[in-house]
Amino acid sequence: MHRDADRPSVLAILHDWVVTVDHKRLGLMYIASGLVFFLVAGSEAAIMRIQLALPNNHFVSPQVFNRMMTLHGTTMVFFVGMPILLGFANYLVPLMVGARDMAFPRLNAFSFWMSLFGACLLYFSFLGAEGLYGGGTAPDVGWFAYAPLTARAFSRGNSTDYWTLSLLVSGIGSIGTAVNLLATTLCLRCPGMTLGKMPLFVWLNFVVACMILIVISPLTAAQIMLTLDRFLGAHFFDTQAGGSAVLWQHFFWIFGHPEVYVLILPGFAFASEIIPVFSRKVIFGYPFMVAASVSIGFISLGVWAHHMFTVGMTPAGNTFFAVSTMIVGVPTGIKVFNWLATIWGGKIRFATPMLFCIGFLFQFLCAGLTGIMLSVAPFDWQLSDSYFVVAHFHYVLIGGLLFTIFGAIYYWFPKATGRRLDETLGRWHFWLFVVGFNLTFAPLHFAGMIGMPRRIYTYQPGRGFELWNQLASAGVVFQAAAIVFFLWNVVRSLVRGAPAGADPWDAWTLEWSTSSPPPPYNFETLPVVRSRRPLWDLKHPDDPDWRYE
Amino acid sequence: MASGGPGSIHAPAPTAAPLVTAFGVTLLLAGLVTSAIVSVVGVVAFVVGAVGWFREVLPREHEEEVALEPAAAIAPSPHAVQRLAAGTARHRARLPVEVYPYSAGIKGGIAGGIAMAALAVVHGLLAHRSPWYTINLLAAAGSSAMTNAPEAALSQFDAQALLLAFAIHAVLSVLVGLLYGALLPMFPWHPAFWGGLVAPLMWTGLIAAALDVVNPALNARIEWGWFVATQIAFGLVAGLVVARSSRIATFQHAPLAVRSGIETQDDR
Repeated sequence: MHRDADRPSVLAILHDWVVTVDHKRLGLMYIASGLVFFLVAGSEAAIMRIQLALPNNHFVSPQVFNRMMTLHGTTMVFFVGMPILLGFANYLVPLMVGARDMAFPRLNAFSFWMSLFGACLLYFSFLGAEGLYGGGTAPDVGWFAYAPLTARAFSRGNSTDYWTLSLLVSGIGSIGTAVNLLATTLCLRCPGMTLGKMPLFVWLNFVVACMILIVISPLTAAQIMLTLDRFLGAHFFDTQAGGSAVLWQHFFWIFGHPEVYVLILPGFAFASEIIPVFSRKVIFGYPFMVAASVSIGFISLGVWAHHMFTVGMTPAGNTFFAVSTMIVGVPTGIKVFNWLATIWGGKIRFATPMLFCIGFLFQFLCAGLTGIMLSVAPFDWQLSDSYFVVAHFHYVLIGGLLFTIFGAIYYWFPKATGRRLDETLGRWHFWLFVVGFNLTFAPLHFAGMIGMPRRIYTYQPGRGFELWNQLASAGVVFQAAAIVFFLWNVVRSLVRGAPAGADPWDAWTLEWSTSSPPPPYNFETLPVVRSRRPLWDLKHPDDPDWRYE
Repeated sequence: MASGGPGSIHAPAPTAAPLVTAFGVTLLLAGLVTSAIVSVVGVVAFVVGAVGWFREVLPREHEEEVALEPAAAIAPSPHAVQRLAAGTARHRARLPVEVYPYSAGIKGGIAGGIAMAALAVVHGLLAHRSPWYTINLLAAAGSSAMTNAPEAALSQFDAQALLLAFAIHAVLSVLVGLLYGALLPMFPWHPAFWGGLVAPLMWTGLIAAALDVVNPALNARIEWGWFVATQIAFGLVAGLVVARSSRIATFQHAPLAVRSGIETQDDR
C-alpha cells in the first residue's frame, strides 16, 4: 500500500492548521476547542450530579466536589461558551459582510491561541498531587472566587492563582477578538452593506464585541488586584486590613452579569438567522430587533448588583438594580415576540436547526420568567444562593444558549465542511437533549424553593431534596446519550455525510453564495449588496427585496 | 488582500508568530505559579514571536498567492413569492378579523337568560315546590328584606322581588351576552364549547369564591349542582345563538375614508 503522492501528510495538515491566519480555520479551531472542553466540563457536571443523587453520598470528597464545581463553571463560561461563540463570529462575520478576512488576521490567530493556552493553563493545575513546583491542585473557590475565600489564609498553594492567571490569559484573547470583530464590521463591509442592511447575526456580534471590551476590563482589573493580594501582600479584598470582600463581588459581577448577555446574545443571533430561513419569511421587525439588541447591551451593564441583594446594600440600591433587571426583560421580550411573529404564518420546515431553535424559544421563555421572579429583591432574599438560581441560569445558558449553538452547528456545518449532518441522528440528539435537559433542571427549581442551598457537597436525608436530585441526576443520562448521538453524527458526517452543495437550506445571507467550504479568499469579487437578503436578490432577479426595503 | 496574477488572489501568509507570542505570554504568567525559569522562557518566546510578527507586516505585509477556485453558481429560484401589500385584506391583521354584531350578543344574552330562568323555575318547583323560590333568592342580592327572609317566605310570590330579580337577571344576561359576542371570535375551535362549558365553569368558580360577599342569602342556601346546570344552560344557549349569527368584518382593512366616516362623492 503506498500513499498518494499528491495527498499531504498528517504533519503537513497539522502544520497548516497551526500556522493559519485564515478566519475560517481559526473559527473552526475555536469551535473544536470549545467542544472538547464542553465534554470535559460536562464530565465534571456528571460527577457532581452522581455525588448529589443520594443523600450523604461519598462518591467524591468535598475537596474534589469543590474542584469539579469550580472547573465546571469556569470552563463552561470561559472555555466553552465564549470560544464557540467567538468561533462562529470569526467564521461567519467576514463572510456575512462580504469581506475576504478579518481586519487583523494575525491578531485573530494570537487571540485564539491565547484563549486555548488560558484553558490549558487552568487544567495544568491538575498535574501533581500536591503541586508541581508548588502548583497545588485544581482551583476550588467557585467560578466567582468570592473574597475572602481566595485569600492566602483560606486558599493555600497556587490553585487559585492558576484560576486567576488562566482567565487573565484568555481575557487577552477575548479582547483581541472583540477588537477584530469591531474593526471588521465597521471597516470591511462590502459595497452597499450599510449598517441597516447588515444581517442580525453581525449586528448582535457587534454588540457583543462592544460588551466584551467593556466588561473584560473590570474582570482583568480584579484579577490583577487579587494577584497583588496573593503575591505581594496587598489588601484590596482583605477585610481585616481595610479591604472589602464586597468590592470583589462588585468587580466580578460588573463583568459577570453582562457576561451572561455576552453569551446569550450570540444565541439570539443564531436564532435570528435560523428561524426566518426555516419559516420561509423575512425576520419580523428588523429595526426593532437591532434596537432591542443594542438596548440589551446597554441595560445589561447596569444590572450586576442583582447578584448581591443579600450583601446588605441600601434600599435605594436594591430598588435600582431590581428595576433595571426588570427593564432588561423588555427588549428581550420584544425579541421573543418578533421570533414568534416570524414563525407565525410561515411555511415551517422542522429540520434539526429549527427544532433546536423552537426548543430555545420555550426554554428561554422559562428562563426569562424565573429571571424576572429573581429580580424582585424580597423574592431573591428568600431564594438567593439556592438551587432555584442554579436552575434559572442553566435554563438561560443551556436551554437558551446551548440549544442555539447546536442549532447553529446543524445549520452551518454544511457550509464549513461541504457535507450535511444526518437528520435522523439530529432528531435523536434533539429529543434526548430536550428530555434530559428539562428532567435535570426543572426539578432543581423545586429543590431550591424548598430550601436546598447551591454549592453544597451533600445533604441530609429527610429534607425533601432526594426526589428532585434523583430526577436531575437521571436527566444527565439522557443528556449524555444525546451528546453521544451528536458526536457520532459529526464524525460520521465528516467521513461520509451527504454532499451539501453551496446553499442546502435555500438561505439568504452572503455566506451561502460561496462554495462549501468557502475558498480561502471567500469572494473572488466583492459582492455588491442592495438589501438585507442579498442572496435572495440574486436568486429572485424579478422580485428582489430592495424594491420593498 | 488584493487580486494577484491571473487565476490567483493574494491572501495573508500563514505564520507561527502569533502562536509563539501567545505561548510566550502564557509562559510568562505561568512562571508566577511554577518557576522563574518558565517566565524567562516565556519572555524569550514572546520576543521571538513579536519580532516575527512585526516582520510579517513591516515594511510590507507578507502575503501568499492563492489559486482561484470555481465559484458557486447561483441559480434563479423557481419559486414565486406572494407579497402582502399594506392596507389590503389579511395584511398584518389584528385578530379577530371578523366579529359578531352587538345585536348577536344581546340576542344571545336574552335567549340564554330565558333558558337559565326556565331551568331555575324548574329547580324551584322540584326542590322547593314553588316557582318563586329561586326568583326570590336572586332578588335577595339587592333586597335586605329578602336576604333576611325565612325559607317559607322565599317560596311566596312577591311582586317587588320579581321585578328586582328580573332587572338583575336581564341586565346581567344582556351584559354577559355582549361579552360572548366580543370574546367568542377570539377563541379557537367551536364557540359553543368555550361559551357553553368552559366559561360557565370558570365564572362558577369565581362566583363560588365571591358569593359570600355578593349575596350571603344565596350563598347560605345555594345548591351547587343546580347552579352549575343553570349556568351551563345559559352558556350553551347564548353561545349557540351568538355562534349562529353572521359575522361582520372589522373596519381594520377598510379605506381611511370609510373608517373615518367621511361621506365621499358617489361616482355613479
